[in-house]
Order: sequence, then C-alpha cells, then structure tokens
Amino acid sequence: MESGIFHSTYEKDMALRHTPIEKIRLALVIAFVLIFPFVADNYWLNLANTIGVVIVGAVGLNILTGFTGQISLGQGAFMAVGAYTAALLSIRWGAPMWLTIPAGAISTAIIGAIFGIPSLRLKGLYLAIATLAAQEIILWVITHWDAVTGGVDALNAQNILWFGGESHYFSEFQFYWIIMGFAALTTMVTVNIFRTRIGRAFIAIRDQDIAAEVMGIDLFKYKVLAFATSSFFVGLAGALIAHWRQIVTWERFTIETSIFYLAVIIIGGLGSVSGSIYGAIFMVLLPAILNNIGRSLKGVIPAMDVLIPFIQQAVFGLVIILFLILEPEGIAKMWKNVRDYFRLWPFSY
Amino acid sequence: MKKQYFLIIGLVLILALVLVACGGGGSSDKESPIKIGAVYDMTGPTADVGAPYGRGEQGYVDWLNANGGVNGRKVELIGQDYAYKVDQAEQLYSQYVNQDKVVAFMGWGTGDTEALRGKIAKDKIPFMSASYSINLAKIKEAPYNFLAGVTYSDQMVIALQWALQDAKAKGVEPKVVVFHHDSPFGQSPVPDGKAFADANGIAYTDIAMPKGATDLTPQLTQAQDFGATYVIIQNVSSPAALLLKNAKSLGMTDKTQFICLNWCADELFIKLSEGAAEGAMGIMPFTSDFSVPGAKDPAEYLKSKGKSLDDEGLHYVQGWWTVATMIQGIKLTMDANKDLTGENIKASLESIKNFSTGDVTAPISFSPTDHRGNDKAKVHQVQGGVWTPITDYMQSRIPVE
Repeated sequence: MESGIFHSTYEKDMALRHTPIEKIRLALVIAFVLIFPFVADNYWLNLANTIGVVIVGAVGLNILTGFTGQISLGQGAFMAVGAYTAALLSIRWGAPMWLTIPAGAISTAIIGAIFGIPSLRLKGLYLAIATLAAQEIILWVITHWDAVTGGVDALNAQNILWFGGESHYFSEFQFYWIIMGFAALTTMVTVNIFRTRIGRAFIAIRDQDIAAEVMGIDLFKYKVLAFATSSFFVGLAGALIAHWRQIVTWERFTIETSIFYLAVIIIGGLGSVSGSIYGAIFMVLLPAILNNIGRSLKGVIPAMDVLIPFIQQAVFGLVIILFLILEPEGIAKMWKNVRDYFRLWPFSY
Repeated sequence: MKKQYFLIIGLVLILALVLVACGGGGSSDKESPIKIGAVYDMTGPTADVGAPYGRGEQGYVDWLNANGGVNGRKVELIGQDYAYKVDQAEQLYSQYVNQDKVVAFMGWGTGDTEALRGKIAKDKIPFMSASYSINLAKIKEAPYNFLAGVTYSDQMVIALQWALQDAKAKGVEPKVVVFHHDSPFGQSPVPDGKAFADANGIAYTDIAMPKGATDLTPQLTQAQDFGATYVIIQNVSSPAALLLKNAKSLGMTDKTQFICLNWCADELFIKLSEGAAEGAMGIMPFTSDFSVPGAKDPAEYLKSKGKSLDDEGLHYVQGWWTVATMIQGIKLTMDANKDLTGENIKASLESIKNFSTGDVTAPISFSPTDHRGNDKAKVHQVQGGVWTPITDYMQSRIPVE
C-alpha cells in the first residue's frame, strides 16, 4: 500500500522516472509512435506531423512562459524567423536540410535573445506588450524587406539533402520520422535542462525573481538565456514547418499562432514538458474530431456543416475557460490526478 | 464529484472515437457521386465576399444534382469554412484528398492556394480558387492550378490602359496610386502594374492599406501629396468602401478617379460606401448584370429556395460559374470514357475552348501552356448606385514563364 511518492535520496529525487509503471508507459508510447505510421493513412499522418511540430514549438514556449514565467506573445513571429531562415538558406545557397534546420533554430535563438533584453525591466503585462511588439516588428520586417525575404510573396523552401543536390520530395510518412525525431530530441533536451543549474535558475526566477537574485542568480543573464533557449526550439518548429510544407508564407505566423501556442501550454500545463505534449495533441485533435463528429452527424442534422466552424470556435473558447476554472495546471495535472487516484487507492492523501 | 467528472470525460472521448471510426471510407465505382473538395471563407477576414462565393459553389452543385448531375452521376461538394487560415485549409485539403478521395478541389484565398500549390501538383488534384494571382498561372510551379477569372496583374493592366485613355481624353496627367491589401493577394498585381506604368510613362506608386483600419485618411493624404489622378484599389469591398468614404470627406473624389479591381467591384462596395462610390470605376471580369443568360439559372434556383440573386450579388454567380467550369472538365473526361483521375481531368480542362458562361464572363479557354481561362473584362462605372458597363471587353495577357 502506498500513500504517495516520497524521495529518501537525492538520486531518487533527480530521477526522471520514479515508478516502474512510468517505464512501462514510456515503452508503450515509444512502441505506439513507431507502429503508428505503418497503420495510419495520410490524413492521420498529416495530423500526427502537425502535432509533432506543435510539440516542438509548445515545449519551446513552455520553457519561457511555463518554467521561467516570462509571457510571450511573439511565438508566431519567432517561428517565422526559423522558417524564413531555413527557407532562404535553401533557396539562395542551396543549403542542405541538415544545415538549414539548425540554422533556423540558432538564428531564432539570437533574435529571441535580443527581444528578451527588455524582460529585465518589464514584467507581466508590460512584457506581454513588448513581445507583442516583437511579433509585429518581425512580421513587418519580413513582409517589407523585399530584397531578402521576397516581401509578402510565398517562398518555396527546397528540401536539399547535400550541397548542389536537387530538391527532394518527402512524403508525409518520411517526414513523420524527421518531425518525431526532433520532437523526441526537444523533449529529452528540455527535460534534462531542468535537472541542471540553468533550469533550476529559470524556475527560481519564475517563483520569485528577487529571491532568486538574492541567491546569486544573475537575472539578466538567465532571462536572456531563457529567451534564447525557448526561441531555439520555437525556431526549430518554424524550420520544420518550412521544410515539411515547403511553402513559407507570413500568413501562417500571425498573432493568432502566438495565441494558439499559449492556449496549448495553458491547456496542457504550464511548466510541464509532458503538459506541452498533451496540450499539443489535444489542441490539434480537438478541431479535427469536432469536424469528424460534425460530418458524421450531417445526415442527422442537415445544417451541421454550416454550424461546425461556429461550434469549433465556441468549443475552443469554452475549453480554455473550463481549464482555467477547473484545472489551471492543465491536462498534465489531470493525468496526474487520475494516475494517483488509482495508484494510491485507498490512501490517497 | 471527481469520479463523475472523469466518467463524463471518458464517455465523451469514447463517443468521439466511435463517431470518428464511423466517418471516412469511400469507394469510387461508377454509381457513387463524384467528389469535389472545397474550402470557403464564411467567417474570416474576407467573408464579406467569400460567403456568397461559397454559397454560389454549393448552389451550383445542388442545382446540377437536381437536374440530373453530370451524365447521370451526382456531384458531392465536400467543403467547409476555413476562416482564411492557411493551416486550416491545409488540414481540410489533406482530409478531403486522402480520406474522401476527392478528384478536384475548389479553393479560395491567395495565401492558402499558394501554400497548397506544391501539394496539389504532387497529388495531381486540379484546383481552382478565387485567387487570380499571376503566381498561380506559372505553369511550371503550379501545373494543376486553373484560373477562371482574369489575373490581378491583367486586371491592373486593363485598369491602367483605361486610365491612360481617360487621361488623354480629359487632358490630365496620369498619376496612379495603387491602394492594396497588405498581403500576397493585395501585393500580387503591384509589380506588373509598375512595369506597365514605367513602359507607358505613367507616374505610379503603391500604398498598403493597414488591416482592420478604421480611418484611411493618412494614406489618402499621401496619395494627394503624390498628386494622384487615378487610384486603383486591390482589396475587398469593406475596406474599399471605407477608402471611398474617407476620400469623399477629403473632397478627393471630384479630382481623382477611383478604380476597383474585381474583389471590390461589387454591390456590397456600393452599399457600404453610402453614396461615396458614385462615379467609381470597376474592372469586372464577372458581370453584375443579372439579365444575361448565365444569371438565369442561379436566379431561379435561389428563388426556389426563397432567396434572391440581388441579395447574394455577383460573387454568388462567380462561385457558381467557377465550379461549373471545373465540372465541365470532369464532364469532358467522362464523355471521353476516361477514368476520373486528376491527370485526365487536367487534360480535359486544358482542352476547353470557348466555354460559355452565358455572358457572365467572356468565354473561358484553357490550353496546356496557359491556365488563364480568361483575359477580358469590361470597365464598369457606378451610375445611380448601379454598376454600368462603359466599355466593351478590354483585354490583357501579360507573359508569364
């Protein structure tokens, strides 16, 4: 009989997986991810790839907003930086993908760090507005710097494998492995960041920045570092979108995208890597499932297809409100509650 | 309390999964309906013109099925509102192509049509959208895109040709300012217009109309400083009407001739501008004159549904005839006893010569080297609150690679 998990050594406290069930669960998830593409059709693969990209972007945003407590409304624009860098490198210099994707991530990290500088003096709402400015400035530059970005016209990203090669066409199935590889890498790196001094410094800043400074954490350095780390993954998501969709248009990276990602991490769970994953799955599948339900009800309720978009928007809003009221810590906490309920029964205290 | 909460969530999830499992699946035998995918903007930023266009597409298919379908086979238009979101369009496209096995696709905006053109070519899905961006007429990059209307660039050239004639007749200097939506759609004809203006000695500049602006006076003042004698608008009706209202209060409409390209040359523009549109010109590849033969069927169809074509306006007819053109390609494929594959439908569309839309547009023709179905538009003027043609068809077909 258990009544909770109690760590008696530092090693146990630092462990990534505390119980044997967690190891089994991880094995099941890995098996599912490996088998899924062989049984799914292109539509589900497309959804899975969307989820994979959203996971990378949401984990990135969660580092900044969930773990370090710095709100960002510039997510869309930071993704645009990654996407445009990757696409432009592939178009102008024929750079291969294994260079353009990291380059997209690194350039976004640099831009993100620059826009993170005001965070030293700005907090909360003020920082939100500053990052909103970043969103607008970056998109403005992208749409008006014709010589470099080609202005408002869409770019055709090239999927080149080696210098001087032709653009290669990847199917959804092939891209599944690329996206899932990066999603897994992002998750592993991020989970481990929070077992290091840097990660703990981020959390300390979120919980109480003045206390953190008293403990000897250089606020400026770590805040900028949080922006850079977060933007790195956000840019990675952007670069993946560029190569996966092959058409880069600024219309994909508007403020709506920023808000979508905030919703993902709020619903999934702020300050939780697994929460970002749950949030991504939930937010991508919710409209798709509503859509499918609506279509299968079309025979029963004739006007259903006209109503679906409105229902989707209403449900989207309702879900966010319900989460904020019922479980502000998101799906990650809900999952934990369910798990604890069964595991600790009947002594769940 | 907690237990019930999980129970409800569990039940909802199971219900969802069951319903999802029920959906999907499809066969393509000779009896089943011909499936065409579609996305509409019913609620997004271009819904003012997108909603009637989408209803026109649905209306045509409904009318066609009631009248026997295509060679006896029914057509199913599988479509949904995507609110002008690129991601949403991609997802719906992927679903309709992979799960519903649609054989052709009706799109809407420039951004999403451009974003999809690579996929369209790979999936071999003939695609017609309401975007007439010249980028979609580049056959190498967009081999499966077809344009039922005159490209924005060609409309721009027609507008400039007309302005040049008009300036000569009036003895004024042609100074043109292009007001455009700040997007791929708005920017699309600007460079080609500049090339034409430079070649013909027209002073030319362009000003972006900020999204969601409630006052365009600063932009108009900029145009006044430039000495604009002609203003060409590449935007949808609502912002264009706002521009005209602001221009009228500045007293600009007397000295400057305003010209709408097709997405603001409609009834809504006249209605929203509350009289300020009087005297404005419109480049109209699709007519607003509902006495032409091509408007008879949509008018009667709507009447039978208790609605009227005058309420829906010309974009309804535009959607109606665009999907009709696509279905003509499908019909020709069936007439030739070929399978309804994307490649065959593309070849049939390319064989269309002088397809009559009953004078809604000039006859539509495609060829294997040019997917621009139309290159003619009449210049119309708002006279007494009604678009009235003042020229015969004017033509432009600028070269694309």
